[in-house]
Amino acid sequence: MSVAVRRVSESELNQEIAALAANPAARFADLFGAHEQGRVLVRVIYALDQEHRYLMLEAPVTDQGHPAISDAEPAAYVEECELFEQFGVRPSGNRPLNRVLMPPQSENTFPLLDGGRRAAVPRELRAPLHVRGEAFEFPFGPVRVAGWESLYMGLVTTGEEVLDLYLFHWHKHRGIERRLRGLTPERGLFFVERTEGLSAASTAWAYCRAVEAAAGTDVPASATATRAVAAELERIYNHAQAIALLCQTTGLSVGQAQAEIALERCLRLNLAAFGHRYLFGVVCLGGARRAPDSAAITSLLPAAVTELERAAAALLRTNSHVDRLETCGIVDERTAHRLAVVGPVARASSVPIDCRRDHPFAPYDRTVVSVPVGTAGDVLARMEVFVAEIRESKRLILELFTEAEAEVATLTGRDGAGFGWAESPRGETLAFVAVDAEGRIERARLRPASVRNWRAFDDAARARNVFTDVPIIEASFWQTVAGFAR
Amino acid sequence: MTEQQQVEAELHERAVALFRRSLHIRTFDSGSCAVCESEIRLLSSPYYDLHRLGFFFTPAPRHADLLLVSGVAVRAADHALRKTFDAMPEPRIVVAVGACALGSVFTEDELVHGSVDAVLPVDVYVPGCPPSPLALLHGLLVAVGRLEEKVQAFRFDLRERNPA
Amino acid sequence: MIWFLRGLRRGVVTTRYPAHADPWAEALPTPPSFDPQKLTFELAERLAAACPAGALRRDGPDLVLDLAGCTGCGRCCEVGGEAVAASGSFELATHDRGSLLKRIPIGADRD
Repeated sequence: MSVAVRRVSESELNQEIAALAANPAARFADLFGAHEQGRVLVRVIYALDQEHRYLMLEAPVTDQGHPAISDAEPAAYVEECELFEQFGVRPSGNRPLNRVLMPPQSENTFPLLDGGRRAAVPRELRAPLHVRGEAFEFPFGPVRVAGWESLYMGLVTTGEEVLDLYLFHWHKHRGIERRLRGLTPERGLFFVERTEGLSAASTAWAYCRAVEAAAGTDVPASATATRAVAAELERIYNHAQAIALLCQTTGLSVGQAQAEIALERCLRLNLAAFGHRYLFGVVCLGGARRAPDSAAITSLLPAAVTELERAAAALLRTNSHVDRLETCGIVDERTAHRLAVVGPVARASSVPIDCRRDHPFAPYDRTVVSVPVGTAGDVLARMEVFVAEIRESKRLILELFTEAEAEVATLTGRDGAGFGWAESPRGETLAFVAVDAEGRIERARLRPASVRNWRAFDDAARARNVFTDVPIIEASFWQTVAGFAR
Repeated sequence: MTEQQQVEAELHERAVALFRRSLHIRTFDSGSCAVCESEIRLLSSPYYDLHRLGFFFTPAPRHADLLLVSGVAVRAADHALRKTFDAMPEPRIVVAVGACALGSVFTEDELVHGSVDAVLPVDVYVPGCPPSPLALLHGLLVAVGRLEEKVQAFRFDLRERNPA
Repeated sequence: MIWFLRGLRRGVVTTRYPAHADPWAEALPTPPSFDPQKLTFELAERLAAACPAGALRRDGPDLVLDLAGCTGCGRCCEVGGEAVAASGSFELATHDRGSLLKRIPIGADRD
């Protein structure tokens, strides 16, 4: 496998995690369950960015057989709740868990990942919060403004100031990981692309790398260049969207229009280069099935990016816009580390991580990726990171597109497990795939960046923000509910 | 058709005709991958500008004439979807957009219906993955009777081009 | 003021759809069209197997295309050679879900 695996017992698990959590060089990356011979196995992934490697801890676990992992590693709370909802395994002690994927049930059962078993659900919705003074809870959603994903926000406010914010994503839980079980990896790719469609190319890339690692297959260099061209085009159009949405939320309509013009040009560039506005169907198992159209890239890319950069530069000179962004939605460095966020959200908060550089994989291992870092951790810093990344993505595309071909290596090897990663526009996206002897998926774990970053949104929205800032903060995070809820 | 049904159909048609040049649209995401939403957002962008056709997005179902639904109809969103539809005064139109909403991507299971017409009466189906903003505009114009449907006449036979 | 001027200077980019077609839209992914005379039962089954969305299936003497499920990925075009090519049609909206099922006679194995 492409990651070092260490097996420990259930009783050792918390100790191991505590040691890693205390190690500043280790970053919590994922936690998920799997079935192994009738038992539940938990896998915990840590990224050792300076050492350029990932580490996977495996431990068989039982219901209430171990203390809460999130006590040692607060970042793991979301995944711990998910572990319960997918596998029925809770930590010992009476630590309440949130509903992450499943709505609160009226009957005390819900379907687990393997489809068959059900487990009792204690009636918990959200860890209780004691609010002093005259605050009220204000439900918002899940149906929201046109074209914004369904998301329920519980705002706790005294009127303007946001005291607390909690989110329910379960309106969009489609059960993709359940659906992937029993499919061939090829059929599974169709769903993987549609997990977080706005990161279709990068999510597919991480998944394909996991399956290729399991099969021990090498992807031709020219195909890795194609994958990178698609992923960088994806980064550019996503950042253009984020900039347009920031204008929508600050009420700068003409700025929004300008950014949307640039965005549409990026989407037409995607169509001309790869045959799909959102880059579906480019990355495939063993390589890439479409080569980028060189003429499209040379004629359309520079102009689209210049348009976008001009719009962004004008926005950064517009005081009425910048005033809304400065000191808004701050994720401080300590919180960014504590919650193990990834992507532009992390980079704008002084956390200089990027898996293209820290855990290099083809073709990024043959080039130097420059990673912009901001220190303020506010909405403005995130926007500045977007702008810098757009420039870098354009440079990478122009460097790689001439060697990009449509080439597909045949997957050898039938069964096995593999781990893959890619840098989506929202940050590091991970995939773990285990294929059985019949060549069907036994367990597929998808961890788009959105799974890691929504947690920091609550923190960013609290205190010193008013609730009209909340959409601005959401636009600057630019995560998806689809990627979180899957 | 009975006489009553005929009268109802004609009444519905005349009511819907009122929307031809002034339509308020409520959107609902019932569990999409977020790409259909991106194309829907672009309808109000300068390239497509749905306002020039007399179409507007509205944040309130009470003001809405048409409900634009994407996604696989996740069961956990049923309650919100039905409440949104029920809050819309009649006459109202439901348009399902995207292969997911049309029931072709996710089969029904414990978590999802798989198709919007399992929850609501759908008037117009708009295929695509995602349907581009042009396909969405076509769907909206068909829904208010400003454009004729084309797909019945398409034969998808290479020896003759589908009529424009 | 600056934004007002920027907006004016940018000019009009709005599509004239439905009055006029957009040339760029010819590149949009669209469902396939088939040459019935070049379709064999064997090819039809290979096309159905190639479709990642399950939008193609063979039903007796016909190949059935479900436009509701077609994502325009073009895999059938790759497999089908001269028998299959993109239709270029994206205006597929309909009131009648049944109209989205198209039957193409598998002609080459007949007579």
